[in-house]
Amino acid sequence: MSETGEFLEADLRASSESLKKYIRDKVNHLLSVMGTKPLDEEELDDNTLIELDPIGIIARSFEQILEHQRETNRRLTVAKDQLQAVFDTVGVCISIIDEDMRIVNCNEKQKDLLVSANTSVIGKHCYEIYCGKDSPSLDCPAVETLATGKPVFIREVEKKDRHFQIVTSPLKDENGKVTGVIEVSIDVTEKKKAERLMRQAEKLTAIGLLAGGIAHELNNPLGNIIGYATLLLKDKQSGLRPDRREKLEIIVEQAKKGSEIIKGLLDFSRQSVPSFSDVRLNEIIRKTIRTLQNRISLQKIKIDIELAEKLIVRADPRQIELVVLNLLLNSVQAFEGIKRKDKVISIKTGRENNLIQVRIADNGPGIPEEILPGIFDPFFTTKPIGKGVGLGLSICSGIIREHKGSIRVRSESGKGTEFIFTLPAVASKTG
Amino acid sequence: MENTTEDIVLDIRGQICPACLLITLSELNSNRERLTEASARLVIKTDHRDATRTIPGAALAMGYGVAVTQKERYYEITLEHKK
Repeated sequence: MSETGEFLEADLRASSESLKKYIRDKVNHLLSVMGTKPLDEEELDDNTLIELDPIGIIARSFEQILEHQRETNRRLTVAKDQLQAVFDTVGVCISIIDEDMRIVNCNEKQKDLLVSANTSVIGKHCYEIYCGKDSPSLDCPAVETLATGKPVFIREVEKKDRHFQIVTSPLKDENGKVTGVIEVSIDVTEKKKAERLMRQAEKLTAIGLLAGGIAHELNNPLGNIIGYATLLLKDKQSGLRPDRREKLEIIVEQAKKGSEIIKGLLDFSRQSVPSFSDVRLNEIIRKTIRTLQNRISLQKIKIDIELAEKLIVRADPRQIELVVLNLLLNSVQAFEGIKRKDKVISIKTGRENNLIQVRIADNGPGIPEEILPGIFDPFFTTKPIGKGVGLGLSICSGIIREHKGSIRVRSESGKGTEFIFTLPAVASKTG
Repeated sequence: MENTTEDIVLDIRGQICPACLLITLSELNSNRERLTEASARLVIKTDHRDATRTIPGAALAMGYGVAVTQKERYYEITLEHKK
């Protein structure tokens, strides 16, 4: 062999050794990725190694691993989307809160009920976003779960004037340390309102029956007292002394007062069947104002009227008149003893879709906030004894309810009161 | 119902890692289609304890279900594609 040939052979051998070392190193690297031991040179010599093609085997295996990963990712994405859809459309509010009471995630229902539009919630304190407070409430179930690591089952909590039943469960890390809370809440505001109305309706029915019964029983003897006393007063032969005549007049007057109260009780129990007909609401309002005109003028109250046209309701005109009279009388009475020049009662009617709305507002002293919730309850009154029995608004509420309408009150201390009632409209005629 | 899944038996007793793993991977690659369709499963017989760790680890990453059973003098590793 020539010198050049020997040189080339040595060079080739060196390159081959270098290549074999490279292959062995790469195979060992891939094997370590697969979690196994490096190649043992004594077990697998270079020629067997190249024949086995371990890089090819591992490369094809990685192809399977990648395909499996892609399939797993696809399934995870589908599962995540499905879970997100369930998370967002489930009829309860769900929130994930971390140990610093910051919101990690919440569903659409939670945002709809307690988060203002376009407000970002992630990372914000839950008590700021959901409760509108600068610190958690004492009865906050999330605080309790974070402190105890135990779930809290069904606690009723008020957030932003809504009522919720809340269940909280702890989120724990692998060491059992509490890292957050999952809060699930159901909005029970409407349910509570319905329950309250149901209780009130039951109470009204019971009181109505009792009051109606008593009123009937008392009506006759009172009628007799008034009748006989009046006869005695008219009897010129009786020879009554003036002081006794005066006492007899007091008897008649007091018995008449009692009779008025009984009339109220009978109205409240509404033992008369309502007689429905198509009623022009504006006419009733004008008529009622005329009835009270004398009193309105005496108290120097300005009446602002804004009546929409074509307001027809299917109603008992006598009962609706009673409602308007009671509400208007309430506004007039609100100014009693007040010496001001700007006393105003405004009466507005309007139509919204299938509902007719009547607003009767005054700029009187307003109703204290603490008594507003009981204002439609029977026998609720702030007037002195003898000035009212507290049935007026309760009667109004009952009548409106029977007419499938609604009634509510808004009041601000020092600014006035507004009663709003609605009735279903029946047709469009000129009112 | 008749079981139509075929067992492809790979007897690598006497071999140690990493050869055990490489041979198994080679078999998985060669029979990929049948295994993926679940018309066959790979049953490996090995007496090298380390292989009961390395083979299941790789097979799970490739999406196979794994069962390891200890027999009298060897281990039987069954790899079956999840449907």
